[in-house]
Amino acid sequence: MSDSNITRRRFIVAAITFTGFASGVSMLRLSEAWAQSDADPGQDTLDGMIRVARLLYPHDSISDAVYAEVLDGILAATAIDASFADTLKTAEAALDGHQEEAFMDLDHDAQLAALRAVEGEGFFAAIQASVRFGLYGHPAVWQLIGYGGPSYQDGGYLHRGAGDIDWLPEAD
Amino acid sequence: MARTYNMNDDSVVVVIGSGAGGGTLSNELAQKGIDVVCLEAGSRLALTDIENDPGLMNGRMGWNDARMGTAVWLCKTVGGTTMRWSGITPRFQEHELKPRSTYGLLDDTTLIDWPLTLDELAPYYDKAEFKMGVSGTHDIPPSFETSMYKVLRAGGLKMGYKEITSARTAINPLARDGRPGCLQIGFCHSGCRIGAKWSTLYTEVPKAESTDHFELRTGAMVLKINHNDNGKVTGVVYSDEAGAVHEQKVRAVAIAGNVVETTRLLMNSASARHPDGLGNSSGQLGRNYMRHVTTGVYAVMPGEVNFHRGTRQSGLIMDEQYHQADRGFAGGYFIETGATDLQSLAGAIPGWGEEAAGHIEKYSQMASVFVSGEDPPQARNRITLHPSEKDQNGLAVPVIDYAMHPNSTLMQQHANIKSTELFESLGGSVVSKIEGIGYGCHNMGVARMSENPTDGVTNRWGQAHDIPNLFVSDGSLFTSSAAANPTLTIVALAIRQADHIAERMSRREL
Repeated sequence: MSDSNITRRRFIVAAITFTGFASGVSMLRLSEAWAQSDADPGQDTLDGMIRVARLLYPHDSISDAVYAEVLDGILAATAIDASFADTLKTAEAALDGHQEEAFMDLDHDAQLAALRAVEGEGFFAAIQASVRFGLYGHPAVWQLIGYGGPSYQDGGYLHRGAGDIDWLPEAD
Repeated sequence: MARTYNMNDDSVVVVIGSGAGGGTLSNELAQKGIDVVCLEAGSRLALTDIENDPGLMNGRMGWNDARMGTAVWLCKTVGGTTMRWSGITPRFQEHELKPRSTYGLLDDTTLIDWPLTLDELAPYYDKAEFKMGVSGTHDIPPSFETSMYKVLRAGGLKMGYKEITSARTAINPLARDGRPGCLQIGFCHSGCRIGAKWSTLYTEVPKAESTDHFELRTGAMVLKINHNDNGKVTGVVYSDEAGAVHEQKVRAVAIAGNVVETTRLLMNSASARHPDGLGNSSGQLGRNYMRHVTTGVYAVMPGEVNFHRGTRQSGLIMDEQYHQADRGFAGGYFIETGATDLQSLAGAIPGWGEEAAGHIEKYSQMASVFVSGEDPPQARNRITLHPSEKDQNGLAVPVIDYAMHPNSTLMQQHANIKSTELFESLGGSVVSKIEGIGYGCHNMGVARMSENPTDGVTNRWGQAHDIPNLFVSDGSLFTSSAAANPTLTIVALAIRQADHIAERMSRREL
């Protein structure tokens, strides 16, 4: 298994246990399923999901490549969780069915409207949670946003700015 | 080192759970020379298993079995929720042990007074604080002043608050008791990688093991407690890691499974003699479930805070803890610092799109408070067993039914207003707050202590009213919630209970 696959699998296991979008899938079954399958949900789905992710959490300073990595991890989860694959299919159909043109052929504002039209649907919350978890769990995003990530390997922040703040009024 | 006991050895006290209540009780008993078998459903992590990764650690130490109803956020691991807690340890106030006398019987509550007083509890608070190394007590310095604490203090002073402190946290400011001082790593909810935060995993449990009166069995999921015709419990049936079922004979049993599992086990142990669950002749088992009034308020401040650089809870404001009827609600609350990783912060920001993403981008300027306040008991708030759903052990799945009392809603609104004023006094702007059931998970009350056996499940020692050799040793005992985060009081009650059990044993009453 390549490094990126290890990262990918680790993300999925963490995402599933954390967000509960695949509750009921045991860790044992996850590893077995992963060993058997590395299914690719397809480039069209990936492109569509990248667009959705950017509409959900737009950050100009974050490149499409980072969004793509995040979505790649989320889509890989469909290989081990059929219900999540169904969730994505439902979302694709709903977004494509919003207007006569397919979702990917709409302009930005129309895509936003299509997404807003489905925000009450069950699949929306599941997709939003997984995009959010993946995007803000990505080290490249941490760096851009100024979040330090894991710190024990650097000895924590005790001597690296834990008490630093320079704009508060003087305490009496 | 640790010894092992035979399944038929009926001289042992079986403690179920190894967290704040069970781990502490186990060690206190073992130190007195009483033989203890501690059954822990989870596994035993090493410090090197602890990563700064909330999702990963929830998989490693969270209790992720099937449950229904209001969400809870507990641990299945040696150390229980002391692995996940933030370490804040205020004491109860005197009036909080007499809520019925102080507040009157609020509509739709089941308030009663505790069957013990603060004078009785105070010496055990001292012992608990010493054991846990609470900052600002027993000559231990206050905790390090993080940038988030400085925000809390500066805003609190502007609000006119007087009791603002970075003390009262069970995280070593300096090395003590074989554990290092805090390095301000953050990620306190994912377990403390260096063991600076008090957890029974690396304090009570190994200390008990060093006595030669203690055996810890991990992966031991308790299924049922058996009793005899004389009304005493006789054995604990559990499933081991391999799924094999055993019965450990007992002299006495103490349950500390954290409220949900404590209720479930007692209910699953129903028999002809105890048709509604073991020790439930009062019908109170599972009722009066309390969670604390909580909120989480996030604000974007005018400059950088970087609240990830340090402990989640590094201080608190105590001024609002008092009962002041003119605020329009009974009881009080603490305002405590909050801090969280980027993923969790993003989850706390409502909505999506440009505004939400814009707030998340200001992570380095984010400040946050958590609130813990008194939540009155209600008969309707209860934990029951699902009539048909079973888990992987064939046990009925617990159903958690909780609704906020109007008093709790008023308190939460007050806390949200005060927290907003605090941040705004420094030029901050609130971007997220909780209105409704909070994500804090302080479980209390389902086997509450009561003077009168019809009002609760246990007496002033945490001994079941119905069964002399059955004890409850976790937050289930709480007669009322008070405002304080519960762990210090759970530990104090466990130390007190150990004294009582030892005394009863020496008099051959157990």
